[in-house]
Amino acid sequence: MTTWYLGLSTSGHDPALALVDETGRVVFAEATERFLQDKRAWGVVPDHVPHLAAALAAVGAAPGDRIVPVTSWASVKADLGLKVHDALLPASDTIWMQGLQAQMQQSAGASLLRLGFARERPEPMRFDHHLCHAVAACHFAPVADAACLVIDGEGDVGAVSHFRLTDRRLSRGWRSWGPGSLGTFYGWLTGLCGFDWREGEEWKVMGLAACGRADPALVETLAGLLSADRGRLRFADDAAIAAIRAAVEPLARGPATPVTDAADLAAAGQAAYALLADQVLEAIAEDGPALILSGGCALNSSYNGTIAGRTGFDSVFVPPCPADDGNAIGAALLAWMADTGAERIPFGGGTPFLGSAPHTKTLEAARRAAASGHAVTDVAGRSAEAAAALLAQGRILGVMRGRAEFGPRALGNRSILADPRPVGMKDAINARVKGREPYRPFAPVLAEADLADWFDRPQPSPYMSMTLPWRAGVRDRVPAVVHDDGTGRVQTVGPDSAPWMADLVAAFGRETGVPVVLNTSFNIMGKPILHSVEDALGMLATTGLDAVLIEDVLIEKPAHP
Amino acid sequence: MTRTLTPPAPEVVDFLTAGIARFTKQDPAAIRPDSVLVDLGLQSIDAVLLSGEVEDHFRIELDPATIFSHETVGSFASDITKRLGAR
Repeated sequence: MTTWYLGLSTSGHDPALALVDETGRVVFAEATERFLQDKRAWGVVPDHVPHLAAALAAVGAAPGDRIVPVTSWASVKADLGLKVHDALLPASDTIWMQGLQAQMQQSAGASLLRLGFARERPEPMRFDHHLCHAVAACHFAPVADAACLVIDGEGDVGAVSHFRLTDRRLSRGWRSWGPGSLGTFYGWLTGLCGFDWREGEEWKVMGLAACGRADPALVETLAGLLSADRGRLRFADDAAIAAIRAAVEPLARGPATPVTDAADLAAAGQAAYALLADQVLEAIAEDGPALILSGGCALNSSYNGTIAGRTGFDSVFVPPCPADDGNAIGAALLAWMADTGAERIPFGGGTPFLGSAPHTKTLEAARRAAASGHAVTDVAGRSAEAAAALLAQGRILGVMRGRAEFGPRALGNRSILADPRPVGMKDAINARVKGREPYRPFAPVLAEADLADWFDRPQPSPYMSMTLPWRAGVRDRVPAVVHDDGTGRVQTVGPDSAPWMADLVAAFGRETGVPVVLNTSFNIMGKPILHSVEDALGMLATTGLDAVLIEDVLIEKPAHP
Repeated sequence: MTRTLTPPAPEVVDFLTAGIARFTKQDPAAIRPDSVLVDLGLQSIDAVLLSGEVEDHFRIELDPATIFSHETVGSFASDITKRLGAR
């Protein structure tokens, strides 16, 4: 018999589960949306029975093992009975979310009964939401000492928490209590730009911001919605917010107008976000020089890429899973620490590849079935070279190898890859596979060792957390991965952190003279990143993908005429 | 329900009194340990903000529900004093 700590992200959105073993190692972590192929999986329990069963089987849990369920919130928000702050987002959204959070907190762990791992309803361990964010982030950060900051929509209290990591021990500094949230601000901005935060479309605002011009007066007006008192965020009073909304809302984009009409508004909102986030960082600058940043707002890669060197911090670490899915890891680790008396947060080596692997039996069957009409090749031992050769021919390749990434970014194990050199590649991927809005950028991958040759402000970005400016002289060499403002949300790879992608980028460099590859997530618009071998073959069959590489099996469509 | 109350430390009572007086715009002299928080006119948003100030000032951790589980200034002050002792 052994013990497993089952971390559950119980927010009601972005449910996820994580398993930590008796030694404090994170052995599995996966968002529910991947298993269900339901984006953000709103309202689905994080211990969804078939997903939990698959996860327990993947780690080798056996009947009789002790499984400790853990939630990523200490409290049930709705139980406080506080009046919902509705000056920016409609109260109906918040009330709906609080209802889901209450359900998730209530039902957490019950699936263990169904799976035979509990005979009585297990009472979960519960940990503070921001503490879960912080511990998960520290687990991925290769430093012993750092300031640790959580900025999100809202935690058990407030929307900013400050911690200190000292010799891998985490202690709380301060937290913000009153209503005042950069996550809420960005959600409201998302709506104003004609998108839907409930769909997770904050990305689109951030991408669009690069296409616009931030009017300084508008930035100042927007930043007036919030103030930061020693880093503690507070919304302006209701009258001031109403006045700002009245001034700004005429600029809102309606559903019928082109997306790019909202570019200036997005740019101003992004600039206001940066202004306010800077004020929060200033309050903890003395804890530098290293900063660990987490919470949903840490997905703002445009801002993240500007922190190091400009503020009091010289290095910034963002985990691959800063949003609420990542809290499953934090919760599980906190339970392990509480149960074993461990005081230091274990460093997990940094790997984000913690999810499911392709099902080998399915792959074998698929390989036989796919043979009709496709070229099926075993490329074991030369898969990176084979992939690089295809990319150099302009082919668009779906890759499903090894364990899935945990967190929103595809980092080479569930990725669509392409050649970044042709001007038309971005439009080709959108037309043939992804169907995204044409203004949205695709990401570059390159070796960390090469970064300074290609980017200004070079800094590690193993999880695509940093948007950095391309050096002026190189932009026309890789036009498909250069955004309107000359930036790229870069993934840096090394032989230890992502060996296959490092080999691929090197092979592509040898082949073409450009050691940069385009990487976008292996999904179609509106769907989560794919999960199964069948999903991958379905995408090959139903989109303009040229080939898929599943483990070491390359399945290609006949070459274009 | 019976519970053993830690006697509230004077500095905690003084801090709460000053804070509540500021939030409710009244004379601190009118606030006594047996004053009922709701009767003093302390709104729930003020209670939340006061909890934050207590955390900052005394460097302890409160739960979001802590203040709402107390009826009077003195009872809340006792809870804080107890947490200070456990720190």
